[in-house]
Amino acid sequence: MKLFSDTFTTLENALNYSSAKNRAISNNIANVDTPGYKAKDVAFKDVLAQERSSFQTKRTNERHFQFGPDTSESYRTFTKSNTTYNHNGNNVDIDKEMNELAQNQIQYQALVDRMSGKFRSLESVIKGGN
Amino acid sequence: MSIFHSMNTSASALTSQRLRMDVASSNIANANSTRATLNENGEWEPYRRKMVVFQPVENNFQNFLHKAAQQGSSGSGVEATQIREDEEPFKVVFNPNHPDAGEDGYVQVPNVDPLQEMVDMMSATRSYEANVTSVNASKSMLMKALEIGR
Repeated sequence: MKLFSDTFTTLENALNYSSAKNRAISNNIANVDTPGYKAKDVAFKDVLAQERSSFQTKRTNERHFQFGPDTSESYRTFTKSNTTYNHNGNNVDIDKEMNELAQNQIQYQALVDRMSGKFRSLESVIKGGN
Repeated sequence: MSIFHSMNTSASALTSQRLRMDVASSNIANANSTRATLNENGEWEPYRRKMVVFQPVENNFQNFLHKAAQQGSSGSGVEATQIREDEEPFKVVFNPNHPDAGEDGYVQVPNVDPLQEMVDMMSATRSYEANVTSVNASKSMLMKALEIGR
């Protein structure tokens, strides 16, 4: 039996997604006054169900950096390019971004709480309940 | 990617919004400056309204790499690329007693509209506040991350 169960991997993926989302939201808020800027968003790959691109690089050594869609990251950043919200081509909706910022922050804290809870129960088992 | 990426992103926006505020202040302060620059004829010209041009920071190596890999990147903030002068013609006011009045009694005054500058300042203030909130959110997330396993 594995000591570190799948829960850790799942939580780790969710934390990575959450911090990537925070980066995207920060960038959207930073560019709220930039003409022509299009808002960016992050989505899980399987949720996004996007057509996988054929871009693939040939690696001569397995330690080489891998390009293309087959990276270990479970999320993907994309640009919302088909809408215009403002007169200058900017489509950042500041209310939506601030709302998502708050939501994402709470989600992140909940995930960290769960992670700590996992470690605590492991610790409890290791110490035999003492 | 650095863990402080999102804080740096917001910081770049804080700098840009502050610059916008500075420029708007300068415009309001010079709303009546009739002698700002000397033109090629050796005559004084009124102050020209200035504007800040914003651009997302996207021309760095990291972003091109992400683009080539078709991964998309979340970008790295905003930057003020130039301060441009407003090419609108100067306003003309009839005031024969003014030291810079022409022979017909008209004075050229700056093409600054104080109302427009006030709106710009309000907008800069709000954007600045939004970015401060964003910095605080990133900060509390990082602080929370330090609690993992504690």
